[in-house]
Amino acid sequence: MSAGIVDIATAKPGRRIDNDHFTSIGLTDEWIRRRSGIASRSWLPDEASLAEVAAETCAPIVTGMADSAEIGALIVVSTSSRQRVPGIAQKVAQLVGLGPSVLTFDMNAACCGFVYGLVTGLSLCDAGSARSVLLCSVEAMSRMVDRTDRQTACIFGDGAAAVLLADRPEFEGFRQVAGCDGAQEALMRELDGGGIHLDGMQVYDRAVRRMTESAQYLFDHGPAPTVVVGHQANGRILEQVRNFTAHLGVPFVNRIEHSGNTSSATIPLAFAEELAAGSVPTVGRLGAVAYGAGEAWGGVSVGYRVPAVTGG
Amino acid sequence: MSDIESRIADTMLAKLRERDPALGPDDLARPIADLDLDSLDLVELHQQLESELQVKGDLKETAGFAFLDDFTTYFVKLANRG
Repeated sequence: MSAGIVDIATAKPGRRIDNDHFTSIGLTDEWIRRRSGIASRSWLPDEASLAEVAAETCAPIVTGMADSAEIGALIVVSTSSRQRVPGIAQKVAQLVGLGPSVLTFDMNAACCGFVYGLVTGLSLCDAGSARSVLLCSVEAMSRMVDRTDRQTACIFGDGAAAVLLADRPEFEGFRQVAGCDGAQEALMRELDGGGIHLDGMQVYDRAVRRMTESAQYLFDHGPAPTVVVGHQANGRILEQVRNFTAHLGVPFVNRIEHSGNTSSATIPLAFAEELAAGSVPTVGRLGAVAYGAGEAWGGVSVGYRVPAVTGG
Repeated sequence: MSDIESRIADTMLAKLRERDPALGPDDLARPIADLDLDSLDLVELHQQLESELQVKGDLKETAGFAFLDDFTTYFVKLANRG
């Protein structure tokens, strides 16, 4: 048997921030939409606990299981979590009622975190180390950005999403391609005094190339995805990747308009929105491709069969 | 105009018309700063020309161009290099 995605849940809690919020820093709704495709995003309150947000996101999945003891591992992916020791995964495990014998850990691969998490979680399942793996991305990017920075303040949003990975006879094995280039770390990085530096043109160029190449790889190696979801970094990037992958003949998802860039959470959030809208069937094969800081990049193709989407 | 120059002009005109459908071939001679193009449009144009001509350019060079004609000169040279 092979592992795949058997459930998904999402949350975009907090205050909805529309583009008019940024008139105070000289940005118009028209400019932001043209530059990014973004119309609004959610920002969590500063005092909100990311562990609690993650637990609330995971809860419907865990309570919906016949036997949650099947969960052998919990991976919590976050770029924006400030809590280092202990990480937040252990707290999330406690809050959702997982037992003491669950492998839990935090993961950070910036905007590529969900793809790296999928590779790790699916590998744990396929190796027999865990019957099921809960993978949750939770982000409060609004706490990382300089809210007065005209280049980045309007791009990022907050949100969380979780998927349950488990073996099913119908799933074919997952395929993955991934890597990094630390020499490119200056393109995108957190500044010492707060805020995010982004080399917009280079990041755009490299993100389009990496995600296009990753999608092509997934189609060239193994069962073809029925839908491709790219990291929702910027609507312009997504449309360019869509153009360059049109020949693959499957939907390429762009759901950035009301989420913004939620870093590692964008792929499951966008996928869940697509499922909830009925734009893609609840059974198929997901191609997930991403590009992020540290130039972590990658793609995964994985089978899925999910019930109706919860949360959001 | 060679076949390569013609394909470059068509690609550039298509990009300009995404912003203003009324623009025509004469507008290709205007300075980039006078056109309604942002920095991401220039990356998109760079990538679309690469795709059209099946060549690989260097964005660090094209990002500094002041005229669309500079793209023509640059990509013709790349295409002829094979």
